[in-house]
Amino acid sequence: MNSLYMPKDSLIHSLDPRTKMLFVVFVVASSFILNDPALQLVFLVALFPLVVMAKVVKPYLISIQFLLLFAVLIMTVHGIYNPIGVTPVFEIFGGLTFKYESMVYASVMSFRILVIGTAAVLFVMTTHPSDMASALVKWKVPHSFAFILLSTFQIIPIIAREAKIVMEAQQARCLDVKGSLIQRVKNLVPMFAPLFIITFMKVHQLSYVLECRAFSRKGEKTSLRETKIGSLDYTFLLGMLGVLAFEIYLKLFMMGSLHLTTDALLTYSLFGTWIVFGFMIIKFVVKQFQGKIGGAN
Amino acid sequence: MASKAIEVNNLTFSYPDTDEPVLKDINFSINHGEILGIIGPTGAGKSTLAMCVNGLVPQVINGEMEGTVKVNGSEVSGSSVAKMSEDVGFVFQEPENQLSQMTIEEEIAFGMGNLGVPRDEMLGRITDALDQVGLTGFEKRSPLALSGGQQQRLAIAAVLAMRPSIMIMDEPTSMLDPKGKNEVYDVLKNLKDYGMTGIIIDHEVERIAAYCDKVLVLHEGEVQMFAPSDEVFTNIGQLHELTLNAPQVTEFLDSYNQAFGKDVKLSTTLEESVDNFESACK
Repeated sequence: MNSLYMPKDSLIHSLDPRTKMLFVVFVVASSFILNDPALQLVFLVALFPLVVMAKVVKPYLISIQFLLLFAVLIMTVHGIYNPIGVTPVFEIFGGLTFKYESMVYASVMSFRILVIGTAAVLFVMTTHPSDMASALVKWKVPHSFAFILLSTFQIIPIIAREAKIVMEAQQARCLDVKGSLIQRVKNLVPMFAPLFIITFMKVHQLSYVLECRAFSRKGEKTSLRETKIGSLDYTFLLGMLGVLAFEIYLKLFMMGSLHLTTDALLTYSLFGTWIVFGFMIIKFVVKQFQGKIGGAN
Repeated sequence: MASKAIEVNNLTFSYPDTDEPVLKDINFSINHGEILGIIGPTGAGKSTLAMCVNGLVPQVINGEMEGTVKVNGSEVSGSSVAKMSEDVGFVFQEPENQLSQMTIEEEIAFGMGNLGVPRDEMLGRITDALDQVGLTGFEKRSPLALSGGQQQRLAIAAVLAMRPSIMIMDEPTSMLDPKGKNEVYDVLKNLKDYGMTGIIIDHEVERIAAYCDKVLVLHEGEVQMFAPSDEVFTNIGQLHELTLNAPQVTEFLDSYNQAFGKDVKLSTTLEESVDNFESACK
């Protein structure tokens, strides 16, 4: 299997894909409604129990690392250089000053990435691609579109295999793949031209096959995978609506009196991302180092 | 039944980029429940002929077609390929290109889903189809994880599950080992028990002789022979002219007859040939 789907038995897995798609939409909307670093941080923390419930904590943390890279970059660069900042918060070496306004801006942006990333990862890891396709079809998305989505999972490994075959075949014909960079770039043409042709031929053939499997037949289609919206989905949807209402209420009436975002919070979250980022770098370096030692033996 | 399973009349077809037609004035018909083997050298138009039967030619693959092709009494040109697929199942040569789903059961369910088969019936048919091709227990695997032979049998199962009345296989065994080939031909034999009609294109004359009721020999777009398989394969002289071979046992008996001026009766099966040879040697 070529998707990120983790087959587990959990409440989140048993939700209908449509509910989960709505959930992603809800999270995206919330991340824009809660235009405040503190609230977004609370929201991010509140999403974590769902990850635990879905039993995908470890793969989640691994994939969220990459989003954290963005967060570190945005928070550091924006915090220092964004021109909207006026009030200095603290200074690091060389007179680079983090300013309050720009830090708020950067935090909102990076937390938004993390929040949306969390929801997306949660969705992808708990939803079987075929279920997603059949749920989309129930939402009147055209069959062919759902098929395109699904077939990417199928066609990528096939193309990868073909690419390997083409590469080996061209190497057998004395194509230099270990030369200088310019030479290698030039060699992309004899690699990709056959690959494209092969892929087009395969897709062409697949279209005949699909035709023979009644793909373009008019009328109702059925699916092996059943997706049903049950009481669990309704509970979940109601919960989402409740939270959404509360968010809007917060936004409209409480923003004046609520001052959760302080200098300390911003500074600590910045330091937090730095520390986690530092750990990532150390882990990376150690791995490289081990690889070097392992390679020497 | 009044109508034939497949009836082809005066069929001529040419591809847009060629001057010479690839099929020239083809006439044949097969009854319900019969298995037809099509043999001929590469480029003889075998695949094109097969694709005419389910309408892929000329509806999807363009070209100029004359003549008529009737399946179960109704004209193919009158309905779309997708509609035809309810009656005619088609298995292609390349197994990998025929797979589009993530698990084996979904692969088999795909065609049925397009036909609108209810889910409960699907499950039964999947078990049935997997059983027929000997892939039971593989339901949850990815089709890409199968060997070439298994993939081809999966493709056959996917077509079988759609329950067509006619099954066409275009060189389904070219990628398979001997065991896999036998399995495909066993599926072909089972078709008869289901009352299905089959067309198989292949180069395996031994197996064609053993499993097919009739054989059609195609050469440069023309029907050279169309007769029951025994009749075709014992006409060795003409087969050789067309650069084709008869099964080994038949070839043996023929060479024996020619070398020693004997007149042993030719046969296509091993047992019968042994008997014939034995009685001639006495």
